[in-house]
Amino acid sequence: MSSKQTLIAPLIKENPVTLHVLGICSALAITNSLTSSLIMSVALTSVLMFSNMAISLVRKHLPSSVRLIVQITIIASAVAVIDQVLTAYLPDAARTLSVYIALIVTNCIVLGRAEACAMQNGIGVSILDALGNGLGYSLVLIVVATIRELFGNGALMGYQVFELTHEGGWYQENALFLLAPSAFFIIGFLVWGIRTWKPEQNEKPEFKPEPLPVRESR
Amino acid sequence: MNKDSPAKALLVVLVTALVCSSLVSAAVVILRPIQLNNQMLERSRNIMQLTGLLAEGEIPPDEQMLELFRSMDIRMVDIDQAVFNNELDPLDFDQRRAVNNPELGVVIPSTQDLANLGRRSRFAPVYMVFRDGTLDRLILPVNGTGMWSMLYGYIALEADLNTIAGMVFYEQSETPGLGDQITRPHWLELWHGRHVYNDLGNPRFRVAEGQVALGSEAWLYEVDALSGATVTANAVTSLIHYWFGPHGYQEFLGYLREHPPTAPVEGSG
Repeated sequence: MSSKQTLIAPLIKENPVTLHVLGICSALAITNSLTSSLIMSVALTSVLMFSNMAISLVRKHLPSSVRLIVQITIIASAVAVIDQVLTAYLPDAARTLSVYIALIVTNCIVLGRAEACAMQNGIGVSILDALGNGLGYSLVLIVVATIRELFGNGALMGYQVFELTHEGGWYQENALFLLAPSAFFIIGFLVWGIRTWKPEQNEKPEFKPEPLPVRESR
Repeated sequence: MNKDSPAKALLVVLVTALVCSSLVSAAVVILRPIQLNNQMLERSRNIMQLTGLLAEGEIPPDEQMLELFRSMDIRMVDIDQAVFNNELDPLDFDQRRAVNNPELGVVIPSTQDLANLGRRSRFAPVYMVFRDGTLDRLILPVNGTGMWSMLYGYIALEADLNTIAGMVFYEQSETPGLGDQITRPHWLELWHGRHVYNDLGNPRFRVAEGQVALGSEAWLYEVDALSGATVTANAVTSLIHYWFGPHGYQEFLGYLREHPPTAPVEGSG
């Protein structure tokens, strides 16, 4: 695969969220505000790039018996550092995101890319792959967050776009969009849309149900 | 050395642990002063908006905000003894950590535990604003268990120690769009001018079930309901009843009425 492909494929064709259905936890939890989603995207992409780079560097020295332990240690350290940086320089955002920054450790995209890419490839490819997957994740977050914040609060990044009824405007905000289940629907529709556009993403059915016995009509 | 030998595995794990832990420690040590400064700034912002010293919507630059905050009269209160405590440093005291400290925290008797706290700190920092040498506003920290999360706030009282001058919730994780309406400024503005205590001296303030009719008898003690957030609204009522009840600040407020505090003399430090 060319390096351009490595970078671009994870955006839609092999998107970690909509194709592999990874990283759903944070995609559901923090997408009720566009600002949080942007910060989360940057945080995850940085962690992913750092961990892919570090793991690709040491991959030839990693005994398979302790492989996962070392990978998780590297990922957790990157997350701890990012968490500290956010609480220092973006304290408000860090408070909103609270535990979800720390939970990047358990985001399957990070360990997934370490195992699937960084363990087999050189440092250049690993970083490009990390960047591509980070951007693919960010893309989904941004789309979902834009829809949720716009219809849930009538705002984007805190700026009022629709005037709210209780402030004398015309838009009655829909609180459902601020709750996690709405992200389920939106991501579901996204997956549906992408698979209609690119039918090769559809999984083959694992088994065929037996036809129901035809009952004789009485 | 063979890549899969136990010695190699041990070596790799040790080196990784060393490198990673130094990275994390370095980040913590280097960023700590900035984080502490942020916390102080956050606290100043929340307190200063209740003092009535800033014009509405005025947010001074960070440095000036800290300056204003540090120049306030902040004292420690011993809630159980209902007196001021001069030994603890109010800027340094961590009220949340004190809750579970065996010496600094106390168990709340279950019959009085309206806010479902279990324990509380024995001491609390209070913030005082003086005008012409007499107490103008008193700002008290309060908290209580909401639907999903602990609600933390500050309440400001006017000189009569009964009329509410302002309220702010600075930390909560209630349901977005429902319970988190307690942070909306236009709802918090309703608190202004309401009374905490009734004529008998018992806490009466509450969040009503519907809209409070202007000029009704209850108007003095009630603010409008929050639609769809009954549990959070009840939690807010309970936390006020707890903190202004006999196990909360009630006795201390009585002490203040009998011993009105005076403004610290300028320049005495």
